[in-house]
Amino acid sequence: MTLQAEAGQRFLPSVDRLEMSMHAALRAFEQGDAEGALAHVAVALNLKPEYDAAWILQGHVLRKGADLEGALASFERALKINDDSEEGWMGLAAVLHDLRRFKEESEAYDRLLELHPRSIEAWIDKGAALHELKDYRGAIACYERVIAMRPEVASAWNNKGAALLRLGDEAGAARCFDEALHLDPDFYDAMANRMYLFEKQGHPGEAVLWADRALRVREAPELWYVKGLGHIGLRESMLAVRAFDRALELNPELKEAKAALHRAKAMHGAADLYRGVYECFGTHLAGDPGCEECEIRSRCREVTR
Amino acid sequence: MSLPSEAEVEHADWPSLKRICESLGLNPKGRSAVVRMRAMDHLRRRARTEPWSAGRGHIAALLNRLGFPDLSENVWESTIRLNAAAPWVGLGQAKLASGLLGEAKKSFDRAVQMGDSSAHLHAAEALAAGGDFDRAVQSCDLYVAARPGDVRGLAMKAAFLARAGYAEEAARILQTTSELHPEIRGLARTIGTVLLRADRPEPASEALRAAAHADPRDIDAAINRGASLVLTGRTREAIGVLREALEVDARRPEALNNLGVAYLRLGQRKSGAVNIDRAARHLETPRILLNLAEIQETEDQPEDALGSVGQVLRMEPKDSEALAVRKRLTPKARPRRTAGGSRGAAAKKTSARVRKSKSRKDPKA
Repeated sequence: MTLQAEAGQRFLPSVDRLEMSMHAALRAFEQGDAEGALAHVAVALNLKPEYDAAWILQGHVLRKGADLEGALASFERALKINDDSEEGWMGLAAVLHDLRRFKEESEAYDRLLELHPRSIEAWIDKGAALHELKDYRGAIACYERVIAMRPEVASAWNNKGAALLRLGDEAGAARCFDEALHLDPDFYDAMANRMYLFEKQGHPGEAVLWADRALRVREAPELWYVKGLGHIGLRESMLAVRAFDRALELNPELKEAKAALHRAKAMHGAADLYRGVYECFGTHLAGDPGCEECEIRSRCREVTR
Repeated sequence: MSLPSEAEVEHADWPSLKRICESLGLNPKGRSAVVRMRAMDHLRRRARTEPWSAGRGHIAALLNRLGFPDLSENVWESTIRLNAAAPWVGLGQAKLASGLLGEAKKSFDRAVQMGDSSAHLHAAEALAAGGDFDRAVQSCDLYVAARPGDVRGLAMKAAFLARAGYAEEAARILQTTSELHPEIRGLARTIGTVLLRADRPEPASEALRAAAHADPRDIDAAINRGASLVLTGRTREAIGVLREALEVDARRPEALNNLGVAYLRLGQRKSGAVNIDRAARHLETPRILLNLAEIQETEDQPEDALGSVGQVLRMEPKDSEALAVRKRLTPKARPRRTAGGSRGAAAKKTSARVRKSKSRKDPKA
């Protein structure tokens, strides 16, 4: 008996070819070749139309290509085939987040958490969705569930801090950000939140210090803007001008930075303090041995608030 | 150097913390919590095994090496933070390469303020580039005060002293360095060379003898020793030393030239000419070519001598010695005969002055 050579013409799909297509699609996706990935997924779905993994992969590829509606349809199709797929629910929720459909996103996480009640990722993302819906207490409850299960998860602490800040609990927020930074000292979001909190509390020296730390990880116009405000508070007009210039280079539409730049330039003639080699300028702490040895401590004490 | 543990940094008292920062090349100044955070950041970064990729600091340093100091300066400026001294040193180097000596000095001073004592040496370089050797030496002293016995600091100080004309002082410092670090080979040769350049052939010969004794295959020491022996009048001994050097490497033009000079001193013109001619075949330096030209002149080969001098002037168009030889050898237009007949006697023949060359620098006899 002779077999047909073309697998596509067989009654049953060729498992080998299906696996090969999925591997090729995954490889193409990892290499950034969205078109190639979709072509391979199409081959796999032609062989096995009810294949949830292929629909999920297609959803990820489409989401990366910004075809959010297409991605949503792919994840929904995957979940129709397999309602218990954790990856399917996570993908669906992520697309709903991108579409800013936070309520449905939160419901997706609820469904996922019914299946996997100890999914840390789902709790944190549900908290973030509730935060967007301005349900800060609900968000905090989600983060506390995570902290109870895994207290070393820095993002749960950071997000809890952000929610507490929205509720006006600055001291509680500061404790959470500190905890997040203790667990992960390079946590960009926590650094940025620490900076915003110090800026809000009127501590320009600390705000500049944390802005600098965050900028070492990643540049953002908002960070440069807040850093510039801090330098104005410390009467370092030249550094303020530089910071606002950089903020406007990164985002020329940042109106606040434009206004602040004018202020900094106007200030330049009147005051421009020089911090020398002191990264911590404006954070004077009485009795600290480093501050006691500082050559510019009188100037630092003057601007520390 | 082994890194301190995170626990050590976490619990270090203030003096220890400052010491740790200095040893890690970090700025030790500021509020203690900030300094501690700086050291912890450094340890975490070092502990991570990330694949290497060129950072902005690497790119800036390479740009300077490739001859783009302006671009390097811009990149260094973008890397500057107050937590580490190294970018200030890099910025200073870029400014130095741009010829902005004052600005370079300021950058190095900033690094010094942050506790990087090696920046004193960079500052010394900037000062020396501006011809201020006294302050360059002072800068080296500040570095050596922070790191007593450091070879780099002592060697740079000796080099600046020698350039300022204090060869004996330089040799004395190199001698001290040699005593402190007997494991470093070649210091005796350096001492000898410094003394030789300072026209002190007698002690130079002694130092070079010690160098040759320590390493019989140190051909540079042997060549310079030969030169110093010629200068002290111990010509036969010099010939022996130079012939031994040529047994190690028969193609060293400095050795051939110096041997030729030594033979000429003994009146063995043929041997002298052969060796200098061989030296010129291997390497055409102005010194060797001038020596060859003078031999050719004394052997009544003015055209060959003019050719050799022409070659020197192609390399160094303002070489006064070459210009003088050319002037002497170029046939002059016949002067108009006056009624009183020819006044000129035969041109006065100058005795050929043949000079020695060394492996490092051509000395004046």
